[in-house]
Amino acid sequence: MGVLENKSRARLFYKYLSKVYDQINPYIWNEEMRDEVLELLGVEPDDRVLDVGCGTGFATEGLLRYSDDVHGLDQSIHQLQKAFAKFGKTDEVRFYRGDAERLPFADDSFDVVWSSGSIEYWPNPVDALEEFRRVVKPGHRVLVVGPDYPQSGLFQRVADAIMLFYDENEAQRMFEEAGFVDIEHHIQQAYPGSPKAITTIARAPESDETRDAEADERSTTDAASESASSADVGVETEA
Amino acid sequence: MKESLMDILCDPLDKSDLELEVTDRDGDEIITGRLVGTVTGEEYPIEDGIPNLLPPDMRDDE
Repeated sequence: MGVLENKSRARLFYKYLSKVYDQINPYIWNEEMRDEVLELLGVEPDDRVLDVGCGTGFATEGLLRYSDDVHGLDQSIHQLQKAFAKFGKTDEVRFYRGDAERLPFADDSFDVVWSSGSIEYWPNPVDALEEFRRVVKPGHRVLVVGPDYPQSGLFQRVADAIMLFYDENEAQRMFEEAGFVDIEHHIQQAYPGSPKAITTIARAPESDETRDAEADERSTTDAASESASSADVGVETEA
Repeated sequence: MKESLMDILCDPLDKSDLELEVTDRDGDEIITGRLVGTVTGEEYPIEDGIPNLLPPDMRDDE
Protein backbone atom coordinates (compact mmCIF):
# COMPACT_ATOMS: atom_id res chain seq x y z
CA MET A 1 0.00 0.00 0.00
CA GLY A 2 2.29 2.72 -1.27
CA VAL A 3 -0.23 5.53 -1.11
CA LEU A 4 -0.97 5.34 2.60
CA GLU A 5 2.35 4.23 4.07
CA ASN A 6 3.34 7.77 4.92
CA LYS A 7 1.35 8.83 7.99
CA SER A 8 1.25 12.52 7.27
CA ARG A 9 0.02 11.80 3.78
CA ALA A 10 -2.56 9.51 5.33
CA ARG A 11 -3.75 12.26 7.64
CA LEU A 12 -4.00 14.60 4.69
CA PHE A 13 -6.06 11.94 2.94
CA TYR A 14 -8.37 11.72 5.95
CA LYS A 15 -8.62 15.48 6.25
CA TYR A 16 -9.80 15.49 2.65
CA LEU A 17 -12.16 12.63 3.43
CA SER A 18 -13.66 14.68 6.27
CA LYS A 19 -14.87 17.21 3.71
CA VAL A 20 -17.35 14.65 2.46
CA TYR A 21 -17.98 13.21 5.94
CA ASP A 22 -21.67 14.12 5.90
CA GLN A 23 -22.15 12.16 2.71
CA ILE A 24 -20.31 9.01 3.78
CA ASN A 25 -21.17 9.21 7.48
CA PRO A 26 -24.60 7.49 7.16
CA TYR A 27 -22.72 4.47 5.79
CA ILE A 28 -21.00 4.08 9.17
CA TRP A 29 -23.28 5.83 11.67
CA ASN A 30 -26.92 6.46 10.85
CA GLU A 31 -30.01 7.84 12.59
CA GLU A 32 -31.22 4.43 13.68
CA MET A 33 -27.91 3.60 15.37
CA ARG A 34 -27.84 7.02 17.01
CA ASP A 35 -31.34 6.56 18.39
CA GLU A 36 -30.47 3.11 19.74
CA VAL A 37 -27.57 4.36 21.82
CA LEU A 38 -29.54 7.44 22.91
CA GLU A 39 -32.04 5.03 24.39
CA LEU A 40 -29.25 3.14 26.17
CA LEU A 41 -27.96 6.37 27.68
CA GLY A 42 -31.34 7.49 29.00
CA VAL A 43 -30.97 11.29 29.13
CA GLU A 44 -33.44 12.97 31.53
CA PRO A 45 -35.39 16.15 30.55
CA ASP A 46 -33.58 18.29 33.14
CA ASP A 47 -30.11 17.02 32.24
CA ARG A 48 -27.49 19.51 31.10
CA VAL A 49 -25.87 17.72 28.17
CA LEU A 50 -22.54 18.46 26.45
CA ASP A 51 -22.01 17.31 22.85
CA VAL A 52 -18.24 17.37 22.21
CA GLY A 53 -17.33 17.64 18.53
CA CYS A 54 -20.97 18.33 17.68
CA GLY A 55 -19.97 19.22 14.11
CA THR A 56 -22.99 19.63 11.88
CA GLY A 57 -25.32 18.71 14.76
CA PHE A 58 -26.29 15.16 13.78
CA ALA A 59 -26.23 13.87 17.38
CA THR A 60 -27.28 17.23 18.82
CA GLU A 61 -30.60 16.80 17.03
CA GLY A 62 -31.16 13.46 18.77
CA LEU A 63 -30.11 14.80 22.17
CA LEU A 64 -32.61 17.67 21.86
CA ARG A 65 -35.43 15.14 21.83
CA TYR A 66 -34.46 14.22 25.40
CA SER A 67 -33.32 17.52 26.93
CA ASP A 68 -33.77 21.26 26.35
CA ASP A 69 -30.38 22.02 27.89
CA VAL A 70 -27.96 20.86 25.19
CA HIS A 71 -24.51 22.43 24.74
CA GLY A 72 -22.48 21.87 21.56
CA LEU A 73 -18.72 22.36 21.28
CA ASP A 74 -16.64 22.08 18.12
CA GLN A 75 -13.24 23.15 16.93
CA SER A 76 -14.34 23.99 13.40
CA ILE A 77 -16.46 27.01 12.62
CA HIS A 78 -17.18 25.53 9.18
CA GLN A 79 -18.82 22.47 10.72
CA LEU A 80 -20.63 24.61 13.31
CA GLN A 81 -22.13 26.81 10.62
CA LYS A 82 -24.07 23.78 9.37
CA ALA A 83 -25.36 23.25 12.91
CA PHE A 84 -26.32 26.94 13.21
CA ALA A 85 -28.43 26.51 10.07
CA LYS A 86 -30.39 23.73 11.79
CA PHE A 87 -30.82 25.11 15.32
CA GLY A 88 -30.00 28.83 15.10
CA LYS A 89 -26.91 30.31 16.68
CA THR A 90 -28.34 31.15 20.09
CA ASP A 91 -31.80 29.55 20.15
CA GLU A 92 -32.12 25.85 20.89
CA VAL A 93 -28.48 24.99 21.62
CA ARG A 94 -25.60 26.70 23.45
CA PHE A 95 -22.66 26.59 21.04
CA TYR A 96 -18.95 27.05 21.75
CA ARG A 97 -15.77 26.77 19.78
CA GLY A 98 -13.27 24.78 21.79
CA ASP A 99 -10.83 21.88 22.07
CA ALA A 100 -11.94 18.44 23.31
CA GLU A 101 -8.63 17.96 25.12
CA ARG A 102 -8.82 21.32 26.91
CA LEU A 103 -12.49 21.90 27.69
CA PRO A 104 -13.51 25.41 28.79
CA PHE A 105 -15.90 24.16 31.49
CA ALA A 106 -15.67 24.02 35.26
CA ASP A 107 -15.54 20.66 37.11
CA ASP A 108 -18.86 18.77 37.49
CA SER A 109 -20.74 21.07 35.06
CA PHE A 110 -22.72 18.45 33.10
CA ASP A 111 -25.13 15.59 33.78
CA VAL A 112 -24.19 13.86 30.52
CA VAL A 113 -21.22 14.16 28.15
CA TRP A 114 -21.69 12.78 24.62
CA SER A 115 -19.26 12.61 21.73
CA SER A 116 -19.83 10.85 18.41
CA GLY A 117 -17.62 10.83 15.32
CA SER A 118 -15.00 13.04 16.94
CA ILE A 119 -12.56 10.83 18.86
CA GLU A 120 -10.82 9.81 15.64
CA TYR A 121 -9.59 13.39 15.28
CA TRP A 122 -8.13 13.75 18.78
CA PRO A 123 -4.33 13.51 18.96
CA ASN A 124 -4.49 12.31 22.61
CA PRO A 125 -7.83 10.56 23.25
CA VAL A 126 -7.09 9.80 26.91
CA ASP A 127 -6.50 13.51 27.60
CA ALA A 128 -9.93 14.28 26.18
CA LEU A 129 -11.55 11.44 28.14
CA GLU A 130 -9.96 12.77 31.35
CA GLU A 131 -11.53 16.13 30.54
CA PHE A 132 -14.91 14.42 30.08
CA ARG A 133 -14.53 12.84 33.52
CA ARG A 134 -13.64 16.20 35.02
CA VAL A 135 -16.64 18.11 33.61
CA VAL A 136 -19.28 15.41 34.13
CA LYS A 137 -20.78 15.18 37.61
CA PRO A 138 -19.49 12.36 39.83
CA GLY A 139 -21.54 9.21 39.31
CA HIS A 140 -22.83 10.42 35.92
CA ARG A 141 -22.18 8.95 32.51
CA VAL A 142 -20.37 9.75 29.27
CA LEU A 143 -20.89 8.17 25.86
CA VAL A 144 -18.31 8.08 23.05
CA VAL A 145 -18.88 6.72 19.54
CA GLY A 146 -15.91 6.03 17.29
CA PRO A 147 -14.94 3.77 14.42
CA ASP A 148 -14.31 0.16 15.47
CA TYR A 149 -11.03 -1.40 14.34
CA PRO A 150 -11.84 -3.08 11.01
CA GLN A 151 -11.50 -6.85 10.67
CA SER A 152 -9.71 -7.07 7.35
CA GLY A 153 -8.67 -5.65 4.05
CA LEU A 154 -8.22 -2.13 2.84
CA PHE A 155 -9.94 -0.46 5.81
CA GLN A 156 -7.50 -2.15 8.21
CA ARG A 157 -4.51 -0.83 6.30
CA VAL A 158 -6.04 2.64 6.28
CA ALA A 159 -6.67 2.31 10.04
CA ASP A 160 -3.08 1.25 10.74
CA ALA A 161 -1.72 4.12 8.67
CA ILE A 162 -3.84 6.79 10.34
CA MET A 163 -3.99 5.36 13.90
CA LEU A 164 -7.50 6.54 14.62
CA PHE A 165 -9.52 3.36 14.82
CA TYR A 166 -9.65 1.31 18.01
CA ASP A 167 -11.14 -1.97 19.16
CA GLU A 168 -12.99 -2.86 22.35
CA ASN A 169 -9.82 -3.70 24.30
CA GLU A 170 -8.25 -0.41 23.35
CA ALA A 171 -11.43 1.47 24.30
CA GLN A 172 -11.45 -0.31 27.67
CA ARG A 173 -7.81 0.64 28.26
CA MET A 174 -8.38 4.31 27.34
CA PHE A 175 -11.46 4.71 29.57
CA GLU A 176 -9.77 2.96 32.52
CA GLU A 177 -6.71 5.16 32.14
CA ALA A 178 -8.99 8.22 32.15
CA GLY A 179 -10.45 7.03 35.47
CA PHE A 180 -13.91 5.78 34.44
CA VAL A 181 -15.81 2.85 35.96
CA ASP A 182 -18.73 0.69 34.75
CA ILE A 183 -17.35 0.73 31.22
CA GLU A 184 -19.47 -1.00 28.56
CA HIS A 185 -19.07 -1.29 24.80
CA HIS A 186 -21.61 -1.75 22.01
CA ILE A 187 -20.70 -2.55 18.42
CA GLN A 188 -23.07 -1.44 15.66
CA GLN A 189 -22.97 -1.81 11.91
CA ALA A 190 -25.09 0.08 9.37
CA TYR A 191 -24.83 -2.57 6.64
CA PRO A 192 -23.03 -5.90 6.28
CA GLY A 193 -19.51 -5.11 5.13
CA SER A 194 -19.55 -1.46 6.14
CA PRO A 195 -17.15 -0.23 8.83
CA LYS A 196 -18.49 -0.79 12.36
CA ALA A 197 -19.07 1.86 14.99
CA ILE A 198 -18.02 1.27 18.61
CA THR A 199 -19.99 3.00 21.36
CA THR A 200 -18.56 3.13 24.86
CA ILE A 201 -20.66 4.20 27.85
CA ALA A 202 -18.83 4.77 31.13
CA ARG A 203 -19.46 6.37 34.51
CA ALA A 204 -17.37 8.88 36.41
CA PRO A 205 -16.73 7.48 39.90
CA GLU A 206 -18.26 9.13 42.96
CA SER A 207 -15.58 11.02 44.88
CA ASP A 208 -15.44 8.39 47.67
CA GLU A 209 -15.40 5.66 45.05
CA THR A 210 -12.14 6.62 43.34
CA ARG A 211 -9.96 4.59 45.68
CA ASP A 212 -11.96 1.47 44.86
CA ALA A 213 -11.92 2.15 41.13
CA GLU A 214 -9.64 -0.79 40.38
CA ALA A 215 -11.88 -3.24 42.17
CA ASP A 216 -14.85 -1.74 40.36
CA GLU A 217 -13.21 -2.20 37.00
CA ARG A 218 -12.61 -5.87 37.71
CA SER A 219 -16.34 -6.43 38.16
CA THR A 220 -17.24 -4.11 35.29
CA THR A 221 -16.94 -6.80 32.64
CA ASP A 222 -19.77 -8.78 34.23
CA ALA A 223 -21.90 -5.71 34.83
CA ALA A 224 -21.34 -4.49 31.28
CA SER A 225 -22.33 -7.74 29.59
CA GLU A 226 -25.33 -8.08 31.89
CA SER A 227 -26.63 -4.59 31.20
CA ALA A 228 -25.90 -4.93 27.49
CA SER A 229 -27.89 -8.14 27.14
CA SER A 230 -30.79 -6.73 29.13
CA ALA A 231 -30.92 -3.65 26.91
CA ASP A 232 -33.60 -4.61 24.43
CA VAL A 233 -32.56 -2.39 21.55
CA GLY A 234 -31.08 -4.82 19.11
CA VAL A 235 -27.52 -3.63 19.54
CA GLU A 236 -24.98 -6.30 18.76
CA THR A 237 -22.69 -6.67 21.75
CA GLU A 238 -19.26 -8.20 21.43
CA ALA A 239 -18.10 -9.88 24.62
CA MET B 1 -24.02 33.34 24.54
CA LYS B 2 -26.23 33.57 27.60
CA GLU B 3 -24.70 35.49 30.49
CA SER B 4 -25.74 32.67 32.85
CA LEU B 5 -23.17 30.41 31.17
CA MET B 6 -20.48 32.22 33.15
CA ASP B 7 -21.40 29.74 35.94
CA ILE B 8 -19.90 26.83 34.00
CA LEU B 9 -17.30 28.47 31.74
CA CYS B 10 -13.62 28.55 32.65
CA ASP B 11 -10.26 29.21 31.05
CA PRO B 12 -9.44 26.13 28.92
CA LEU B 13 -5.73 26.52 29.71
CA ASP B 14 -5.74 26.34 33.52
CA LYS B 15 -9.47 26.07 34.40
CA SER B 16 -9.36 29.35 36.31
CA ASP B 17 -12.23 31.85 36.24
CA LEU B 18 -12.99 34.07 33.27
CA GLU B 19 -14.04 37.68 33.34
CA LEU B 20 -16.78 38.80 30.93
CA GLU B 21 -16.41 42.06 29.00
CA VAL B 22 -19.53 42.94 27.03
CA THR B 23 -19.42 45.09 23.88
CA ASP B 24 -22.90 44.36 22.59
CA ARG B 25 -25.81 42.57 24.24
CA ASP B 26 -29.44 41.72 23.53
CA GLY B 27 -31.13 41.09 26.90
CA ASP B 28 -29.20 38.30 28.63
CA GLU B 29 -27.64 37.27 25.32
CA ILE B 30 -24.04 38.47 24.84
CA ILE B 31 -23.58 39.19 21.12
CA THR B 32 -20.07 40.65 21.08
CA GLY B 33 -17.43 40.86 23.75
CA ARG B 34 -14.64 38.86 25.22
CA LEU B 35 -13.78 36.47 28.01
CA VAL B 36 -10.50 37.16 29.77
CA GLY B 37 -8.59 34.62 31.87
CA THR B 38 -8.26 36.04 35.39
CA VAL B 39 -4.96 34.15 35.83
CA THR B 40 -3.60 33.65 32.30
CA GLY B 41 -4.73 37.02 30.92
CA GLU B 42 -5.65 35.16 27.73
CA GLU B 43 -8.46 36.76 25.70
CA TYR B 44 -11.24 34.68 24.17
CA PRO B 45 -13.50 36.58 21.77
CA ILE B 46 -17.30 36.36 21.65
CA GLU B 47 -18.39 37.04 18.09
CA ASP B 48 -21.92 36.95 16.75
CA GLY B 49 -23.07 35.28 19.98
CA ILE B 50 -20.53 32.44 19.85
CA PRO B 51 -17.67 32.31 22.39
CA ASN B 52 -14.40 31.14 20.87
CA LEU B 53 -12.73 29.20 23.66
CA LEU B 54 -10.13 27.53 21.48
CA PRO B 55 -6.70 27.70 23.16
CA PRO B 56 -4.55 30.31 21.39
CA ASP B 57 -2.36 27.69 19.66
CA MET B 58 -5.41 26.33 17.82
CA ARG B 59 -6.97 29.55 16.67
CA ASP B 60 -5.14 29.84 13.34
CA ASP B 61 -6.62 26.54 12.18
CA GLU B 62 -9.29 28.03 9.95
